[in-house]
Amino acid sequence: MIFIGEKINGTRQAIQEAIIKRDVDFIRKTALDQANAGADYLDVNAGTDPSREKEDMLWLLEIVQSVTDTPICIDSSTPEVIQAAIHVVKATPMINSINGDPQRLESFIPFINERDCNVIALALDESQSGMPKTVEERMMVLERIFKATRAAGIADDKVYIDPLIMAVATDQQAGLIAFASIRAIRETYPEAHITGGLSNISFGLPNRALVNRTFLTLAVEAGMDSAVVNPQNVPLIESLKATELLLGRDRFCRKYTTAAKIEFVKK
Amino acid sequence: MAKISELLANLEMDELMEVVQKELDNGTDPVEILKEGEAGMVKVGEMFSSGEYFVSDLMMSGEMFKEMGEMLEPHLAGKTGDVLGKVVLGTVEGDIHDIGKDLVYIMLKSGGFDVIDVGVDAKPEVFVNALKESGAPLLALSCLLTTCYDSILNTVKAVEAAGLRDQVKIVIGGGPTDESVVRYTGADAVGDDAQSAVRLCKEMI
Repeated sequence: MIFIGEKINGTRQAIQEAIIKRDVDFIRKTALDQANAGADYLDVNAGTDPSREKEDMLWLLEIVQSVTDTPICIDSSTPEVIQAAIHVVKATPMINSINGDPQRLESFIPFINERDCNVIALALDESQSGMPKTVEERMMVLERIFKATRAAGIADDKVYIDPLIMAVATDQQAGLIAFASIRAIRETYPEAHITGGLSNISFGLPNRALVNRTFLTLAVEAGMDSAVVNPQNVPLIESLKATELLLGRDRFCRKYTTAAKIEFVKK
Repeated sequence: MAKISELLANLEMDELMEVVQKELDNGTDPVEILKEGEAGMVKVGEMFSSGEYFVSDLMMSGEMFKEMGEMLEPHLAGKTGDVLGKVVLGTVEGDIHDIGKDLVYIMLKSGGFDVIDVGVDAKPEVFVNALKESGAPLLALSCLLTTCYDSILNTVKAVEAAGLRDQVKIVIGGGPTDESVVRYTGADAVGDDAQSAVRLCKEMI
C-alpha cells in the first residue's frame, strides 16, 4: 500500500498560517512526522493565492527536503508552479494531478515526461460540468486520459488513478460505486495504481474515522493500492495491516506481527 | 557460523538461505550447520514461550528450518547428525485440533528427534501400532478438548494392554491439560507449550 501523506496542504488552516508566518519548524515537523510514520510520498500543496503560490511552493519544498528524502507529491493546478517545483525536487516526484480536461493533459504531460514522474489522474473531466456519476462515466474519462499518457510514452504503472470517492451521506450508493469503479479500473488497467483521499466517503457523518478505515478495508479488497492519508493515523494502519493479512498478502503474518510490536505507529 | 542461529532466531529467511549456501560452498560440515539451525530453533522456542514471538513466527521458523534441512540433505548423506530418538505424536481420538500438534512436531524435529506424526483424531490403536512399528520410547498426545480426556486415558490403557507401557514415556499437552489430567489418565508428564514438550522429551529419553 502506497501512502501519500496529506498533511502539508495550505488549504488546512494550520499549514496556511505556517506558510504565511514562514514557520520553518512547524513545516519541518509535519514533514518529518509523516515520513517517520512510513509515508511513501509527501503531498505538498501551497494552496495560497496564485500571485504567491510558486514562491510558497518552493519555500515548502526546500524545508521538507531539508529533513527527509521521502519523494514529493507536487500538488498544484498551475502549470508554472509544477514546472518550477519539478526542477527543485530531488527524488522522482508524483504530480497531483491531471484529469480528462484536454488542456490540462496538454500542459502537464511534458512535465511528467521530463522527470519520468508519477502522476495522479482524476477520473473526471474538468472542462465538462459536473462530477461523473456512474462507473461508465469514470471509465470513459480514463480511456481518454490513458490514450494521452500512452501516446506520450508514459507507462501505466506511473499513473495513480483517483476513482473519485463521493459522500455516502448524500448518496448511499457512493460506497458501492467506488468499489465497482475500483474493480473496473483494476480490470482494465492492471498495471496502474489506484489511489484517492479517504475522507470524502464519510463527509457529514459522525465517527468519520471509522467509516474511512472501513472503506479502506473494502477498497483494498477491490483493488485499491494507494491512498492519500494522514500516515500517522494508527487505527488506519491497524486496519490496513489486518486487511492485507486477511487477503493473504502477508506471508507468515510477518508484516502484521512486526507492526504490532511497534503498536502500529508505522506503516 | 553463529550467524546461522541468529538469522534463524531473527526470522531472516532469505539471508539465512544465502548464508547456508555459502557455508556449504566453503566446505563447512553440514552437521555443524544443522546444529546451528537447531540452536536457532531453540531460541525461537524460547521467544515464543516468553510471548515475544507468535504462532505465525513459529510456523515461519519451522519453514525456514525445513528449507535449510532440504538444502543440507544431499550433503548429509552418510553423516548422521545426533538423532536423539523417536517420538510418536498425534492428537487424540475425537479431537481434530492440529495447530498445537504441528508446532510440537516442528520443535521436536528441530530439537533432533525423529518424529512419527499420526495426525489428528487418532484412535488408541493407531498410536499403539506406530509405537510398535517404530520402537519409539516416547509418545506425545495432544488434546484441546476437556471431553477428550478419556481418549488420553484409553490411549494410555491401550499402550499398557500392548505391553509397551514400561518402555514408553507418555507426555501430554494442549490448552486445558494440566497435572490433574496427568493423574487422571496415567500419563507421565504435561507440557505447557511446544518448547516444554521438547524439554520433557529430552529429559525422559
